[in-house]
Amino acid sequence: MHDAMANDSSVSASARDFAKKRRVNRSAKLKQCKLDARREQWLSQVKGKSCKVTPMASPPTSSSPPVPMPRPQSCLHDSDMVFASHSPTSNSPGKPPKVGCCPNNSVSSGGSTRSCSLSASDGEEEGARGEENSAIDDWETIADALSAYKVNDGCHPSCDTRGPFVESRVPPAPVNDSGTRSTMNPEPTRTIPRAWRPDDEFRPQSLPNLYKQQSFPANMERHFGAKGWSHPAILSAPSSCPICYEDLDPTDSSFLPCSCGFRLCLFCHKRILEADGRCPGCRKQYSPVEGEMLGMSGVKPLLPFQLSRSYSMGSRS
Amino acid sequence: MSSSSSSTSFAGGGGVRPWPSATSVSYSGKRIQKEMMEFNANPPTDCSAGPKGDNLYHWVSTILGPSGSPYEDGVFFLDITFPADYPFKPPKVVFMTRIYHCNIDAAGNVSLDILKDGWSPALTISKVLLAIRSVFTNPDPYKPVMPNIARLYLTDRTKHDEIAAEWTMRFAR
Repeated sequence: MHDAMANDSSVSASARDFAKKRRVNRSAKLKQCKLDARREQWLSQVKGKSCKVTPMASPPTSSSPPVPMPRPQSCLHDSDMVFASHSPTSNSPGKPPKVGCCPNNSVSSGGSTRSCSLSASDGEEEGARGEENSAIDDWETIADALSAYKVNDGCHPSCDTRGPFVESRVPPAPVNDSGTRSTMNPEPTRTIPRAWRPDDEFRPQSLPNLYKQQSFPANMERHFGAKGWSHPAILSAPSSCPICYEDLDPTDSSFLPCSCGFRLCLFCHKRILEADGRCPGCRKQYSPVEGEMLGMSGVKPLLPFQLSRSYSMGSRS
Repeated sequence: MSSSSSSTSFAGGGGVRPWPSATSVSYSGKRIQKEMMEFNANPPTDCSAGPKGDNLYHWVSTILGPSGSPYEDGVFFLDITFPADYPFKPPKVVFMTRIYHCNIDAAGNVSLDILKDGWSPALTISKVLLAIRSVFTNPDPYKPVMPNIARLYLTDRTKHDEIAAEWTMRFAR
């Protein structure tokens, strides 16, 4: 059926193009609405006065009402949801459990039009990838631009030296620099119009966490694995699994199951755990929880506790 | 037919890696093929190995007897069989050439730790052949499969080496 649709060249292609454009338009509109709402919230919060609309955002259309944005993380939720709605399986390891529970504005590509959604998702993946890489940057730069706008407005003349720095979107200053600056300034979120670096220790807890996206293995591999998406932290790691010679995806590369440093892909690790469970590199027994948690880069230290608790709950029920 | 082709195109477009349980044969096949390429690019000293025919899972290998040992100048043929779940299970290595050695039984089975419990998926056939070659020069008479040869090795080394060299002359030339 899908083959017939694919062979039926021009009509279905144009229809798919139309659907694709419509969906891209729709998601762009939704995103803009969210950003708009968020910006208004921000402005009313920070300035407490009536805000002028920046030229980059269009007013919300009636077809898509503005979605209330409870937390800044909702931007991340949005991108998560795009993945979740396109991923063919839901049992990918390491996926955060909250992904599946984002109900609003779910993309309506069902399994019935699989090839259609696939071809449409090509364009959307580009957007989603951009969103993926810049999801955090996006709303942060919006916030930056807003504060910069505030600066240009002239109500806070104390900040005007840093305004152009943000406007030109130069990459942020090094970490120690920001540390000293934020110790100098008592209100870092307002007076420093600059995006937070993920490793900044003064980064507010409410900001969306980049590491959540890194712990997103199978989805990202499904969508971006073949397109050369690479994580900067794994460039030193081997590019293929020494057991099966399959390419390591970002999750595999950040996976260090044994203290001896022997890396392998998650599939081979699972396979070995089903058998004798010894590390191929040093032949020692894998320690099931501790080793994996040591290996996952960027996992918060309280995560093993949460995991062990969920394990015990699962075994009880 | 349409559903199957659409599902394959779907998998290909998404870059989904197949589960190893469903495709264990091609899984090990890729690994063996890679090992063959690496072996040909960088063969260990005095060793050769390759598929016997067009069966990737059945190799034939030769090891030259290391100089300084009683097996010097001998050419020893080995049969290597890869299991379908290689590299999670070790390959089976059998000597086709008769050899007088306390760790190799009359049927040619090698008593080598890394071919049994000491196997690791990180090992390759190249490393296995190097290990076998080192067993030529350093037999382990304390874990023998041929106790008489081991006893002679421990009690009368020169006599042992004479017999081993004679067997090499007879069978491995």
